[in-house]
Amino acid sequence: MGNFFEVLDATFSSGNDHEIKNINFAIPKKGNIVCLLGPSGAGKTTILRTIAGLEKLKYGTINLNGKIISSNTLSISPDKRNIALSFQDNCLFPHKNVYHNILLGLERKNRKKFLYSPLELLDLFKLKEVQQKYPHEISSGEAQRVSLARSLISYPDLLLLDEPFANIDQILKEDLQKTVKDILKLTKISAIVVTHDPNEAFYLGDKCGIIINNVLKQFDTPYNIYHFPNSLEVVNFLKRGTLLNVKIINRQILKHKSLGIINGKYGCSNLNQFNEGKTVKLLIQPEDLLHDDKSQLKLKIVDRKFRGTNFIYTLKTPEEELIPVLVDSHHQHLHENNEEFGIKTPINIDHLVCFEKK
Amino acid sequence: MTKINQPFYSTNLSFYIILCISIISIIPLFTIIINSSIIDFDFTLFKNSQFLEYTKNSLIILFFVLFLTFIFGVIPAYLVTFYNFVGVKFFKYSLILSFAIPPYIFGYSLSAFFENFGSGYTLINLIWDTNNANSYLPNFSPIVNSVLSLSFTLYGYVYLLSRTSFVGQSVNLLDLGKSLGFSSYQRFFKIILPCARPGIFIGLSLVAMETLSDFGTVSYFGVSTFTTEIYNSWFIFDDLNTSNFLSLLLLIFVLFFFIVENYLRKDSRFHSLKNEGKRKKQALKGTKNFLATAFCLCLFVFSFVFPFSQMLYWSIKFPEYLANFEILKLNLNTFLLIFFTSFFLISVAIFTNFGNRVLKNRFLSVFSSLSISGYAIPGIIISVSIISFFSLVSSFINFDLKTIFIGSFYGLILGYFFRFYSIAYNGIKSNFLKINYSLDESSYLMGFDKFKTFSTVHWPILNKNIFFIFILIAIEIIKELPITLILRPFNFETFSTRAYNFATQDLIEATAIPSMFLIFWASIFILISFKYFFQDNK
Repeated sequence: MGNFFEVLDATFSSGNDHEIKNINFAIPKKGNIVCLLGPSGAGKTTILRTIAGLEKLKYGTINLNGKIISSNTLSISPDKRNIALSFQDNCLFPHKNVYHNILLGLERKNRKKFLYSPLELLDLFKLKEVQQKYPHEISSGEAQRVSLARSLISYPDLLLLDEPFANIDQILKEDLQKTVKDILKLTKISAIVVTHDPNEAFYLGDKCGIIINNVLKQFDTPYNIYHFPNSLEVVNFLKRGTLLNVKIINRQILKHKSLGIINGKYGCSNLNQFNEGKTVKLLIQPEDLLHDDKSQLKLKIVDRKFRGTNFIYTLKTPEEELIPVLVDSHHQHLHENNEEFGIKTPINIDHLVCFEKK
Repeated sequence: MTKINQPFYSTNLSFYIILCISIISIIPLFTIIINSSIIDFDFTLFKNSQFLEYTKNSLIILFFVLFLTFIFGVIPAYLVTFYNFVGVKFFKYSLILSFAIPPYIFGYSLSAFFENFGSGYTLINLIWDTNNANSYLPNFSPIVNSVLSLSFTLYGYVYLLSRTSFVGQSVNLLDLGKSLGFSSYQRFFKIILPCARPGIFIGLSLVAMETLSDFGTVSYFGVSTFTTEIYNSWFIFDDLNTSNFLSLLLLIFVLFFFIVENYLRKDSRFHSLKNEGKRKKQALKGTKNFLATAFCLCLFVFSFVFPFSQMLYWSIKFPEYLANFEILKLNLNTFLLIFFTSFFLISVAIFTNFGNRVLKNRFLSVFSSLSISGYAIPGIIISVSIISFFSLVSSFINFDLKTIFIGSFYGLILGYFFRFYSIAYNGIKSNFLKINYSLDESSYLMGFDKFKTFSTVHWPILNKNIFFIFILIAIEIIKELPITLILRPFNFETFSTRAYNFATQDLIEATAIPSMFLIFWASIFILISFKYFFQDNK
């Protein structure tokens, strides 16, 4: 059995010169969620629109359920694909109220019975109060939820969501992400979610793809993307951690000028692609270094961020490198700027991810 | 890219239908060009004193009508937009009632009033009790009469369009003018007028096209112009050569204004500014208040009250014409025409616009926007070109198409199609443009096909404005003269043809009843559609 949905060697183009080339990714099984992550303007929306059939595919093929739906010679019209797309901007029908907009989703041809009724969806998406209102009378966040509910209830084979929670405030967002994930998993709707928020992508996605500079840089599980980013661009995009210059001692041991010896776990590194003795850049993430007041190894604090459940201290090495360190917010005492901050030695890091030094 | 790659390749049929509609709609233009290619160019015509005469007449009329409509249009538009004076609300709306009066009917009223022993004579007698009233009344020349008739009935275009540009002007811009210390006089000439220039010129171009196309007024007053000469050389002297040649000349003339208008319409989009704040109207006091009210009142009385009451007065004064007059039949005929034509035009316009939206074919959309050029072509040329086109085709295919289309209902509707299709097309188009394209897309993505998308998404949004488009077409058809006159079936009369026939038979009193009905219905239509004309201020 092949993949439920796949994009093979595809080149997407939105009409102007902007092209996203040689894209390959797949949804292995029905009910899986794939997130496409990338900075704005990366062409994520173009990919969704092409999958939906609204734009032509320039090269390659797109398969759904074992059938070709787009290639450079064939394009099934969007209304026959059984793919739903929930747009980023409001696209509710202005002449129908919220409830009737959602009801329109029931009118898809050959639609199978959906697990939820329109009223249940109104309730789940917290739209009960506005159900009689017209699109121009509701907020953009509400409109986005209506559009989401309408797409879900049309029970497509594949649901495409373009920044589905962009206009929704933070507190409601987390609730909704869970609601949407639960519904998708229960009803076994496969989905492709486009977002620029890594946390959202890591929460929703079974697989995530990172699109930077018109290229799909990495397509993997959220865990792997987080711990084994495969390129500097991905690291920079995720904005996690810093890169330190280290020297490779052997496959598991590195040496940094002021931090000293850094140990890695066997098999959890990409060091085998580099020669021993070479200087490379090591990715240090905030949770990699541990705090220890009694440690001999001390670095100067330059900044402290309070994140509720934890602090992130930024430390400066004598080499002028800035290192973030995560500390539990219940830690007994605070450290002020310019204080010395102890780091537990020896340093053990679970995932050693290194990059070629430029 | 191959055709097959388009998402909607299955709609080839509608592609060809739209193509056909577009091709049909350029028949008049095509025919004139074909005809002109076989003209035996007789350049002595240019030296012909007659030719010089009607060129001169056309130009003089054009010049003075443009001048007067500018005055009649821009001044009240400025007054009602920027000032408060007695009756401002009333004048703002009522001034467009002048659209209800066709120029030729204004002409009938003019001569009815100023002729010897006419209504003017009766009125003066009534007030001053003199027997010498005729000598107090001015005796206008035919050209002056034509200019007055056209100006008082066409200034509405300039009024409406300049008002829209004034309303759209930024409050900040005017405040800037005040802060620079400009007087209201300077503000008008340095800021308001220059900023409204595109709107005013569009209005004037429309007036120019209408003036050049006018047939009823000039032929009634016996002024020879291009249109009357085309009519005469075709229908009276059977001189096709001259007729075709003059048609071509007139068309070149009109197309100049058509191009100016379209250029400005595109250009004016960049001129229009966001209206940031609510404009505060300045209240006029004393003499200024009186002058503003008096100006608007005079304009309203002359342009609307005068012709209407003149016709009403005569209808009552000469009841004998009412007796042997098939009022019911005239009403029925006129409304039959209105309903069939607008239904046909609006259906075609919806089909074309929807097709263009779905097919997304650049060539087709450019081509179908060409098809709206018909409104620039004078009615008289449209009629002549329909006749000559069908004679040409009939002789070519050896099948008598002439009897099907000439002097029949079909031919008449075809004529209206050429002339008024742009109203339907542009009206529907602007409403389609208001529907965001992403609505179509989300409809497709819910599994709705094109027709379901139309019925559930487009139609409910469009249908609110279709009524107004219907009204606009109705106003034009009820006033239309040359196409109806030439192409109508035998003995088929509308208000306009009936009035014209009486007028040419010098039974000017008898024109009163059909004219009055015409004005009555046209006014009703305008009253219904006020909202459409003044959509900009909510």
